[in-house]
Amino acid sequence: MLQINNLHARIGDKEILKGIDLHIGPGEVHAVMGPNGAGKSTLAAVLTGKPGYEVTEGSILFQGKDLLAMAPEERAWAGLFLSFQYPIEIPGVTITAFMKAAVNAKRKAQGLPEMKAGDFLKLMKEKMAFVQMKPEFAKREVNVGFSGGEKKRNEIFQMALLDPMLSILDETDSGLDVDALKIVADGVNALRSPEKSAIIVTHYQKLLEYVQPDHVHVLKDGRIVKNGGRELIDIIENQGFDQF
Amino acid sequence: MGHGKYVIPSIASVSPIVVQAGEVLNLEFVVLPGESKDITVFVELAGPGAEAHLKGLYLCNGDEQVHFRILMHHRAPGCHSTQLFNGIAGGRAQVHFDGTIVVAPDAQQTQAYQENHNIVLTDTAKVETKPQLEIYADDVKCSHGATVGQLNENELFYMRSRGIPEKEAKTLQMLSFLSPVIPEGREEEILLSLHHVLE
Repeated sequence: MLQINNLHARIGDKEILKGIDLHIGPGEVHAVMGPNGAGKSTLAAVLTGKPGYEVTEGSILFQGKDLLAMAPEERAWAGLFLSFQYPIEIPGVTITAFMKAAVNAKRKAQGLPEMKAGDFLKLMKEKMAFVQMKPEFAKREVNVGFSGGEKKRNEIFQMALLDPMLSILDETDSGLDVDALKIVADGVNALRSPEKSAIIVTHYQKLLEYVQPDHVHVLKDGRIVKNGGRELIDIIENQGFDQF
Repeated sequence: MGHGKYVIPSIASVSPIVVQAGEVLNLEFVVLPGESKDITVFVELAGPGAEAHLKGLYLCNGDEQVHFRILMHHRAPGCHSTQLFNGIAGGRAQVHFDGTIVVAPDAQQTQAYQENHNIVLTDTAKVETKPQLEIYADDVKCSHGATVGQLNENELFYMRSRGIPEKEAKTLQMLSFLSPVIPEGREEEILLSLHHVLE
C-alpha cells in the first residue's frame, strides 16, 4: 500500500524529517506516536502534498506509484485521505457543495459521469447518519462556527464519504470529549477492511484504546526510533517518550 | 467629523439620481472581463426616509482598468443607504474605488454603510480603494470598510486534499466571495467569467 523510504523533508532551512522508513500493507492500521515537535504533522503534510514542505531525499510509493510526483488532488483521487489536525473553515461554501465537488472531481478523473443529484444526497445522508451529524449540517458552511468536536466529526464524515484506501488521522483525538472520541473511533473502525489501511498520528494513547493498531512506531526528532506492536502503547503511557 | 465646512465633492458635476421621500432606489453594477469601465454614480437622498441600495461586482484581468466613483449624499433626515462592492483583479488589471458618503447637517438619523472588498490574483494586478465619510450631522449611524486580499492558501489546500482540482477550488472560493453581489439569474455567466479570469 505505502512504502516510505529514507524520507528527508524540510521547511525552509529547517530539516524536520531525517530519514523515515515506513511500510504499510493492505488492511493494516499503524500508529505513529511521538512527542510534540517530533515531525508527526510534517509527515502527514508531506504525504498529502501540502505546499511549503520540501522533500530533499528518499521516496514514497503509494500503490506502486510515485506519490511525490502527484498533486494533492491526484493523491486524493488515488485514495489518500488526511483528517486534518486543524480542519479549515471555508466561508461561503456549504458541506454539500464541497463534497459534491470532491466526489465528482474524482469521478471525472476516473472517466465516470457526474453522480446524479438524488444519489449524491442519499449518500450524504447515509454518511452523516453514520457519524451522527445532524442533517442540517449539510447546508452549513464548511467548518464555520463548528465546535472542535463537530469539526473532527466532519473530517470522519468526509472520510466515510470519500472512501479512501489509506486514511491518515492527524491528532484526530485532540480536543475531543469521550463521547465525540467514541463516535470518531466507531467511524474509523467501521471503515477497516482487508484492503484499507490507516495511519493514526497521535502524541497520546486516547484514540488507540478504541482503534487498535496492528503496528506502533515511535517518531522522535525526525526519525523512527522504535517499531513494535500494541505493547508499546502501554510502555509509552507508563514511561513517556524520554526512554527512546 | 462634524467639523469643517459642508461641501459636496467635485463628483457633483455629474447630475444626481434623486431619491424622494419614502422612495427606494436599488442599483446593481456588473463589470465582466473584456472591457475597461469608468463608472460614476451620484445619489441624492432628498426626502425623509428615502433609501438607496447599491451593489457592485467586478472581475477584471489583462490590462483592463475599472474605476468606480460613488457619491452618496444624505440630504434629508432618516434616510438609509447601503453599498457593497466586491471585485477580483487578475493579470495587470487596475481597480480604483472612490466611495464617498456625505451626510448633510440636517440629515439626522441617517444610516449609511459602505463596503468594498477585493481579491488580487497576481502580483501585477493593482487595487486602490478610498472610502470616505463626511459627516456634518451628529445623530447618525455610519460605517465603511475596505479590504484587499488574496485567495486563502489553507482553504485551497484543504479543498485539493479532498480531490477538488486547484482551478475549481479557486473558482469555488471566488464564487463564495462574490456571492453577496451576484445579481439573481446571472450565476452561470459569472461562473464562466471566473474561468476566464483564471486562465
